[in-house]
Amino acid sequence: MLSADEAADLIEAIATRQDRAAFARLFNHFAPRMKAFIMRGGADAEAAQEVAQEALIMVWRKAASFDRTRASATTWLYTIARNKRIDLLRRNNRPAIDVEDWLTFFAPEDADADKSVLAGQTYTRVKELLSGLSPDQLLVIEKAFFEDKTHTAIAEELKLPLGTVKSRIRLALGRLRDALEKDES
Amino acid sequence: MSSHPAPEELLLDYVAGALPAGPELAVALHVALDPASRETVDRLTALGGALLEREPAGAVDAGLGTVLERTLARLDDVPVEPKPSSRRHRHPGFEWAPAPLVPHLRPGMDWRRVMGKFDEIRLDLPGDFHRVSLLRLESGRGLPEHKHPGYEYTVVLQGGYTDETGSYGVGDFAVGPGSVRHEPIADPGEPCIAMIVVEKPIVLTGPWGRWLNPLVSRGLI
Repeated sequence: MLSADEAADLIEAIATRQDRAAFARLFNHFAPRMKAFIMRGGADAEAAQEVAQEALIMVWRKAASFDRTRASATTWLYTIARNKRIDLLRRNNRPAIDVEDWLTFFAPEDADADKSVLAGQTYTRVKELLSGLSPDQLLVIEKAFFEDKTHTAIAEELKLPLGTVKSRIRLALGRLRDALEKDES
Repeated sequence: MSSHPAPEELLLDYVAGALPAGPELAVALHVALDPASRETVDRLTALGGALLEREPAGAVDAGLGTVLERTLARLDDVPVEPKPSSRRHRHPGFEWAPAPLVPHLRPGMDWRRVMGKFDEIRLDLPGDFHRVSLLRLESGRGLPEHKHPGYEYTVVLQGGYTDETGSYGVGDFAVGPGSVRHEPIADPGEPCIAMIVVEKPIVLTGPWGRWLNPLVSRGLI
């Protein structure tokens, strides 16, 4: 296993000294997970493996833009996998919003970076929270993340009224917010 | 906090990477301007990270070691890029453009007067079935009352406007079926600039239309 701090150390080792051993450890941990994640969206094993590989190469390239005070390593890696998956799905030459942008967008010039909810402790709480969601809520959240379906498409697939899907999403997000705000106060 | 944030389920679609390019850009601009929505997006992204971490680790079947060797060999040609500067280049005349819009602006892009009433710049997002426009309305001027099939997404980038549903300022987001007639009028002060994303009215008819339209509407064909 790789803790959030260890993963952050590895990314920083790539940024500061092009550390290949650090890259290999990140790769061994995350490449299989990214591949599984991308396959859930319907990609075949070969395509998913290629996207995972491209995502890890991007981790190498963009390592210096990682900032552990703003995002946990896993969260940052998720954004990279997400964007690479969008590239795969769109298959046109217009890349999804750049990963670097993805993180810088979220910091308006006057924002207090220390308050970012992406930082490590929060991430641990989010992980705990997942196990506390009801199966109905978890299903909708997982379909959105894994199968990159819009909430409208999820409602169609599950043959549920759109309002029901929206309220499940909002309930799940409400729990997420409650859990994190309890932490912050 | 914005008085008109994007709905949370749309922010989830955004974080999950499920939106077509046009609505994705509209949400990105809103998120760049609205700290509360940014916080929601941050949380949702952390949720994505947690889900990624829970994925099974046994999925690289071709032999993880081999794939790693191949990947390491490629790194020789891939530099680790230096830390990006936080300040972004801003195009003259487009100082109001939030960061996610900047890559879509080109030198020489200029406002085009439409129907003598407002100014427009069409943005080209290849592969998307949405029409994406920047609109500029002088204070007190209105868009002609309109409606159209499909959804319409609006995010205010400068100034503000008011219509039957309320008043919208910088960062505010509106989404709704375009079939609802509305007549936005720019508020007093500097001109109102907004990005409008409209689903193109492509509706296939005939025996296959029923099956193909859902694919068209998701941008798959």
